[in-house]
Amino acid sequence: MAYSFPEEVLEYVFAFLSYDKDRNAVSLVCKSWYEIERCCRRRIFIGNCYAVSPQIVIRRFPEVRAVKIKGKPHFADFNLVPEGWGAYVYPWISAMARSYPWLEEIKLKRMVVTDESLELISKSFKNFKILVLSSCEGFTTDGLASIAANCRNLRELDLGESEVEDLSGHWLSHFPDNFTSLVSLNMSCLGSEVSFSALERLVLRCPNLRTLRLNRAVPVEKLPSLLRGAPKLVEFGTGAYSAEIQTDIFSNLVEAFSGCKQLKRLSGFWDAVPAYLPAMYCVCSRITSLNLSYATVQSPDLVELISQCPNLKCLWVLDHIEDAGLKVLSSYCKDLQELRVFPSDPYGAEPNVSLTEEGLVTVSAGCPKLQSVLYFCRQMSNAALITIARNRPNLIRFRLCIIDPQAPDYLTLDPLDTGFGAIVEHCKELRRLSLSGLLTDRVFEYIGTHAKKLEMLSIAFAGDSDLGLHHVLSGCESLRKLEIMDCPFGDKALLANAAKLETMRSLWMSSCSVSYGACKLLAQKMPKLNVEVIDERGHPDLRPETCPVEKLYIYRTVSGPRVDKPDFVWTMDEDAVLRLS
Amino acid sequence: MNLQLELALSSNLDEGFDLNDRNEERQEENSRLMKRKRSFDETFEEIKSVQVPQTLSLLDHIDLCDEEDRVVGWPPINSWRKKICHHHQNRRGRNTIMNYVTVENGGRDGGERSGGRSNFTYVKVKMEGVGIARKVDLSRHHSYQTLIETLMAMFDNEKVQGYKLTYQDKEGDWLLAGDMPWETFINSVQRLKLLRNGH
Repeated sequence: MAYSFPEEVLEYVFAFLSYDKDRNAVSLVCKSWYEIERCCRRRIFIGNCYAVSPQIVIRRFPEVRAVKIKGKPHFADFNLVPEGWGAYVYPWISAMARSYPWLEEIKLKRMVVTDESLELISKSFKNFKILVLSSCEGFTTDGLASIAANCRNLRELDLGESEVEDLSGHWLSHFPDNFTSLVSLNMSCLGSEVSFSALERLVLRCPNLRTLRLNRAVPVEKLPSLLRGAPKLVEFGTGAYSAEIQTDIFSNLVEAFSGCKQLKRLSGFWDAVPAYLPAMYCVCSRITSLNLSYATVQSPDLVELISQCPNLKCLWVLDHIEDAGLKVLSSYCKDLQELRVFPSDPYGAEPNVSLTEEGLVTVSAGCPKLQSVLYFCRQMSNAALITIARNRPNLIRFRLCIIDPQAPDYLTLDPLDTGFGAIVEHCKELRRLSLSGLLTDRVFEYIGTHAKKLEMLSIAFAGDSDLGLHHVLSGCESLRKLEIMDCPFGDKALLANAAKLETMRSLWMSSCSVSYGACKLLAQKMPKLNVEVIDERGHPDLRPETCPVEKLYIYRTVSGPRVDKPDFVWTMDEDAVLRLS
Repeated sequence: MNLQLELALSSNLDEGFDLNDRNEERQEENSRLMKRKRSFDETFEEIKSVQVPQTLSLLDHIDLCDEEDRVVGWPPINSWRKKICHHHQNRRGRNTIMNYVTVENGGRDGGERSGGRSNFTYVKVKMEGVGIARKVDLSRHHSYQTLIETLMAMFDNEKVQGYKLTYQDKEGDWLLAGDMPWETFINSVQRLKLLRNGH
């Protein structure tokens, strides 16, 4: 006798499972659970658009309402992936247009999105609500006009840090007059001016607007009218925050800000002029997130602002804040969870600001909830790193960029192995780590031994030999993404740990010493991996087998070699097949 | 140490720095160079004992603001932030970027800045095949000899043999270094390039 819950009950229970991990576990219990689960899964996340095909996804999950897809590897952000590499979203949109008429949400990261894709989105999904394009490219403001004109129920339009070809600011005017559903608009990446009157009318007629992030072209004198029109704003991004100081502009701004009782997050501040910062003081006590990373304001003015934000949880700032400013941060902002300090002059040979390892040490000591760090600086010591590790064992993300490649401990001239070793040893929950400075194979031994929860590791100009890579691949049990540039890692470690690569999302290696021969061998050994060689010097066959490839991108996939490769990318197993036939 | 930096020289130069295969001259050369090297090291040692040791880091003497000389992908900042940096540099002007502190003056972070130094004596040096350009302070040199020694110290000693030194003059033309008197050279050189022989 077999008892079982009716399907509807199971479906109801499964609806409470939001994490993919849980849903995946549930689907492995038995065939009927697999069937029930797949039909009621509403949200899917595809970490690598080439790991699976749209057809496979749609076949398994017929009732999806929200998709999130990622395309290019992370190092594409730093110009390491040549133009035309891939990550085209169109095949996904066209497949989903046919099969998911009720799709509500599309979130894309590092993908190529054309106006055609945007138009297709706008016309295929009647209940479309959320479009997030993070670091995407390939579209123009015409594509945005289609979205504005056709998505009657649009709630969120977030262009992230995408590269948009700005043909005209009139795309905003395509939102119909009876369109009132907007909750979130982020157009901060757009270069040219949008029609302000259209923007103002849009803001005024959307009563549920909670997020408004303007682009640089919106001048400071226009802000008050927008803020007054959206008093329920929770997140606001200014445009260029500078103007000739005029008392009426200033007082208007103060008044407008004070009307926003729910404002929690601020960003924008291009070209910020210190004199206008005090206009925000009235909201500072509620502020939890501040992105000042485009504001070249000096430390005293930053300090003045920050010292009024006791509830600050997230701060992104330029190194103008200096050690002194970070000291103030650490004493006033005890709730701080995330700190990112960006370089104001990364290409200058000399430090232009007084920001050193001390600033980070101070914050690590004073902010007990600090868990996420991105820090650019010009000097570091093992002692400082050890102190940081001991102060903050709760760190989850630690990305340190010492600007000078292979810079040693500036006090002892030793490699920074022990410092980073302390980080991985003390911070047992560390999920993401970026290394820099002078590092030997030793640091990788520490990482392989201790970093058991590490999911993403970024390495540059580090290590002595294949042993380094071997430590990481054999020791880091949770590793999903590994990206390496300019390291002396070659064939041995890669081939010895081939099986590991199938447990990861992807591996990127550029300017290393992996030979063409090894790439072919790896592809032969591991049919479920796409081993892609990126080489702008022409076909690898033109060079000896032992010649190192320029760039290598290896990822697991259930769809085989991709069909949209440009002429500087070769998938290894395809080549092997061609040669045999 | 084999010093075979081949420079095509005109014969009317006072300083014989054709370093090709002449044993006696080479020995003399060697000892002179050894002395120079020692003095360079000595200076370094001196600084070490006086203050925090300075490193001749990969980026010493390097000006990375010229885009073509940057390492691709480093430092890891995205194009949005790069645009901001460029914007600031243009506003500040080139002078601040070129205000280097040499090792003799205490290194990068310590010691006095060489405020009195003329901005125009630093020139960029590129070696064919090497990604990162360096910079050399011409005011510290009084002859092609010392310049070459410095270049050998900067780049891989052995590699520099088999290269020839060229420079770009005020008119933008690329010429072989060593053809004219040092003073004339100093006044017209804009940048240096080490090219492989046979080009």
